[in-house]
Amino acid sequence: MGTSDDATWVAAARDGDRTAFGWLYERYARMVHGVLLAKVPVGDVDDLVQDVFIRALRRLSTLRETASFGAWLATIARNVAHDYRRGLVPEEPLPDDASDQEIQCRTSGGDQDCPSAAILEAVMSLSETYRETLILRLVEGMTGPEIAARTGMTHGSVRVNLHRGMEQLRAKLNAGPSRVRPEQEKS
Amino acid sequence: MDTGDNRTENRPPIESNDYLWDRSGEPDPEIQHLEALLERFRHDSPTPAFPEIVPERQWAFFPWRRRLFPALATAAVGIAAIVAVTLLVYRTKPTPSTLAGWNVSGVRGTLRIGQKTIGGKEGTSRLVIGQMLETDSQSRASLQADDTGKIEVDPGTRLRLLSMGSGLKRIALDRGTIHTYIWAPPGQFVVDTPSAVTVDLGCAYTLQVDDSGAGMVRTSLGWVGFKLNGHESFIPAGAACATRPKVGPGTPYFEDASAEFRSALARFDFEDTASRQRARDVVIVLSETRKRDALTLWHLLTRVDDQQRVLVYDRLSQLVPPPAAATKEEILRLDQPMLDLWWNELGFDDISVWRHWERSWAGTATPVREK
Repeated sequence: MGTSDDATWVAAARDGDRTAFGWLYERYARMVHGVLLAKVPVGDVDDLVQDVFIRALRRLSTLRETASFGAWLATIARNVAHDYRRGLVPEEPLPDDASDQEIQCRTSGGDQDCPSAAILEAVMSLSETYRETLILRLVEGMTGPEIAARTGMTHGSVRVNLHRGMEQLRAKLNAGPSRVRPEQEKS
Repeated sequence: MDTGDNRTENRPPIESNDYLWDRSGEPDPEIQHLEALLERFRHDSPTPAFPEIVPERQWAFFPWRRRLFPALATAAVGIAAIVAVTLLVYRTKPTPSTLAGWNVSGVRGTLRIGQKTIGGKEGTSRLVIGQMLETDSQSRASLQADDTGKIEVDPGTRLRLLSMGSGLKRIALDRGTIHTYIWAPPGQFVVDTPSAVTVDLGCAYTLQVDDSGAGMVRTSLGWVGFKLNGHESFIPAGAACATRPKVGPGTPYFEDASAEFRSALARFDFEDTASRQRARDVVIVLSETRKRDALTLWHLLTRVDDQQRVLVYDRLSQLVPPPAAATKEEILRLDQPMLDLWWNELGFDDISVWRHWERSWAGTATPVREK
């Protein structure tokens, strides 16, 4: 399914078809989740995903290039993350059932008991461009062509981001957990 | 020097059988391991119940009310008729909120739109075509147009909205700093500065202009085109490019390049030095070049003299082999289609997007001066 399908579903959603909007959510939620995860703490991402889709829903009538829905939605997600970081999106307290282990893992860095958290931290230390694309690939499980189709990026950009990002990630992981720190890229 | 025999050296695999790209070919155990560990952070929430979507046309008159309240409907029709007649007779000018433009919100401090002073407590304002927005040394604001993007305006900035058509949205940045996040199709959002025209090619970027008219663009996502009178630069994510009045765009570079590289490039671009010094600066740039600095070398090809062009060609060939379709002679005589093919080999975005913009908007690459 391609952008022409998106245009059809976007048109239906504009006409009030909630099933169509649900289809768009199913198709794009992973992309939005990944874009947000590259920029905000993992515990807040799910709430912000909904915020992104609510904003999109409200503004859907203003989208002229319906075939560009993915790129438009990705930009809304980046804006929501940007607003979050500027403090415009109020932070809500974590729910009671939030996993203590997950929170510890999120903050423990190179803790050997939480290798996934340490790897996510290493990914988060990469430059923003590589971070977003790698998260879409490694966390959300999307392929390069899927990332390009959902975000509106070109295949070339996605491919370069994946390979350069992976090179940097390998370097950080090979340097050992204690040295997983943000650092300048060197080719 | 190597002139391009080893065409795949230091380049990401671009054919099939690339597990990282599309999971084709031999699985990479390291990537599989990372996928397995990171999968726990993946999106797995069910589709929520979204609020009802009300299409705009349903906001027209509600027919059931007319049936239930005929008097009310009659009165409303009468009022509408009076308003229509009034509009026809007096040809009232449209209010700013109905004109094409950008919504101005998030105002901190006090700024000026046209002749009006705006404070943070006044909610959303509107910047319409022909108006100027000016922040003082303390104030800032956000501009947003739903079909175009968002612009954060820093203190000490003056900009003007020049056009807001369906195909081209254009502002002029006279001075100050803006941070743009554009979702309009590539090539539709253009910013004039005193020393170059900035063309969004699907990206987020920061653009600064100082009081002398000199500018600097830093791209954080996608890429940007910088152009003045045929002198063009392409700036992908992570790169920057300066401009100077009467000179135009300099050569783009990645900001993590060495200090020697950046200094030599700045002298080459903007200082009126003797040809021997310029040649020395090119040699310094070439000696400090890393693979990703192919960006800079590709631009230098068209900016150096014939003798230096051979050196630049050789170094660029080592970093990113030229396309099979291009000969060295074609590149050295600056055959544009061949240069474009080589650009596409660098791993940034496809240059055809830019060429399409040039064809569509030929003649717009001269900054619109303040009236």
